Amino acid sequence: MTASLRRYGGVLGMVAIVAFFALSLPDTFLTARNLLNITQQVSMLAVVAATMTVVMVMGDFDLSVGAMASLAGVVAGVLFVQGWPVPLAVGAALAVGLVGGLLNGILVSFVGILPFVATLATLTIFSGTAFIISDGRTIFGRDIPASFSGFARDGLALGMVDGRSLALPNLTLVALGVVALVWVVLEHTSYGRRLYAIGGNREAARLAGIRVVQLRFSAFAFTAVGAAMAGLMTASRVASANPTQGDGLMLTGIAAVFLGMTLTRDGQPRVLASLAGVMVLGVLDNGLTQMRVDSYLREVMVGLIILTSVGVSALSQRRR
Amino acid sequence: MIRMTACAMVTLTLGSVSAMAQDVAVITPYLAQPGTQFYVDGFTARAQELGWNVNVIDTAGDVAAVISRIEDMVTQGVDAIVINVDPAQVGAGLQAAADAGIPVVGMDAGSDPLVAANITSNGYAMAAETAVYVANRIGGQGNVVMFTFDPFPPVQVRGVIADAVFANFPDITVLDRITPDVSDGGIAGSRAAMEALLAANPAPGSIAAVWAAWDQPALGALQAIEAAGRANEGIVITGIDANPQARDAIAQGGNFEASVAQDFVGIGTTAADTVARLLAGEPVVQRVIYVPTRLVTIANAE
Repeated sequence: MTASLRRYGGVLGMVAIVAFFALSLPDTFLTARNLLNITQQVSMLAVVAATMTVVMVMGDFDLSVGAMASLAGVVAGVLFVQGWPVPLAVGAALAVGLVGGLLNGILVSFVGILPFVATLATLTIFSGTAFIISDGRTIFGRDIPASFSGFARDGLALGMVDGRSLALPNLTLVALGVVALVWVVLEHTSYGRRLYAIGGNREAARLAGIRVVQLRFSAFAFTAVGAAMAGLMTASRVASANPTQGDGLMLTGIAAVFLGMTLTRDGQPRVLASLAGVMVLGVLDNGLTQMRVDSYLREVMVGLIILTSVGVSALSQRRR
Repeated sequence: MIRMTACAMVTLTLGSVSAMAQDVAVITPYLAQPGTQFYVDGFTARAQELGWNVNVIDTAGDVAAVISRIEDMVTQGVDAIVINVDPAQVGAGLQAAADAGIPVVGMDAGSDPLVAANITSNGYAMAAETAVYVANRIGGQGNVVMFTFDPFPPVQVRGVIADAVFANFPDITVLDRITPDVSDGGIAGSRAAMEALLAANPAPGSIAAVWAAWDQPALGALQAIEAAGRANEGIVITGIDANPQARDAIAQGGNFEASVAQDFVGIGTTAADTVARLLAGEPVVQRVIYVPTRLVTIANAE
């Protein structure tokens, strides 16, 4: 009984949160429109958390994702100003993400710097670069092509509800695509299984013939390209780009993966669990805002909920 | 986590108020900035008189989160939304509000077709106040140095008005119209430009006044004039915005004589009044509503 409570405690907590909001906000919370809304609001975070899972599986993490998100948005913005077509500018921004990820990978795997130090250093490099190429300014207005900012406003039409059209937002679709891709890679390829083996015991993995250095190198590319994509999604959503707008994604993204880890049986990062963590954070933001909870109190409560769930999980792991 | 949620439930139940009155949300990423706090204070004070439930939401600098919170408020079905952020950056949220028929009012936010009205200060009027102050103070004659910044539209309009005022005085000559380097905040770049001008015009009285489109160049010019030992030539300096540093300089009675203060609290109060008009179904035809500003001189700088 206690074992199963431990096992499912996290899930029950999440259900309790949703049930609480559903009861407190009977007319507005569990509506198709609001739920679709939440998926759109968390879509950028979902992409960051899903790709962050790839490196966290190995016991690593990447602090540079927020700065990379900002940088990618600014790169696209600057290229828009110079008249680049949208697909090319977007492609270039994603390429910047790939290069940044490979840089992180080289530093962590080949050079052997601790991920905390290596990605902290690249965080400041990416952030500084974003300031340099944007001149510290926000790129907005006519400089942002309508087709780019329109992407975040559009979606797959689902029909009419209460005289207003309901759509599955494009940003949600992108996030689902990324989550699905990461799920396939981690759960259904030998590549993913090797990453989990590295996370289980790096030395044993190496002795078993797994090419640890090469795998760690490549895994960081996922994180940075995911971050760049999230940065582009943010830029599309706010129809502007500035050198700090993605920064907040890093801490919340890592928090979401940790929240998700409390849901898995062995306490390992799993991408679907990370997605659940993202949804909890999104639901809390949405629900508490609707309940008119003071925004500062809201931040404190979100932090406490993360601590509580991760703490409970840690305690139950120790007792095992 | 379950216990935490129960705990949260108690907090929230105590915190929520019955929603019979009008619900209005104020959403800003900039609550930590002093000006914004004055807007919000002015707004909430009037809203309290009107008996509204006001929900002030700060996203701590995160503009994307402003969109999310607007969407949440639309879902919640509030009666009106007030924003203090560039509407061009939160268009997705404004569209959601428009689709739901919820009016959005801007508090010094910028104009947008989806914002029913923006409440702000009149940049044209502020520039006119200080430009005529300069012209009158120097008796309609002499050389004037202008500091402007045309790339930024709210400041560009100030320069246009000052141009017109000085052009209307036949004996006033605009010696130079300087766009200072603002990457360091504007004071140092303006000081360097002013030092060069002072060196080029060494004769006492050859520069009668400095008109600056905002306070930082005025402060930079003041530093240059004092450092050059020409503080007693009677060069008149004016700025706009009346920031604390400028008020301090004006109060000391030196060359920096005047600036213009925006009525931030009044902008908040007027935003609430405008929301009230919209909620009462009154048509609001003015898309930009100006709140009067006040000239700050040594008489009222403290």
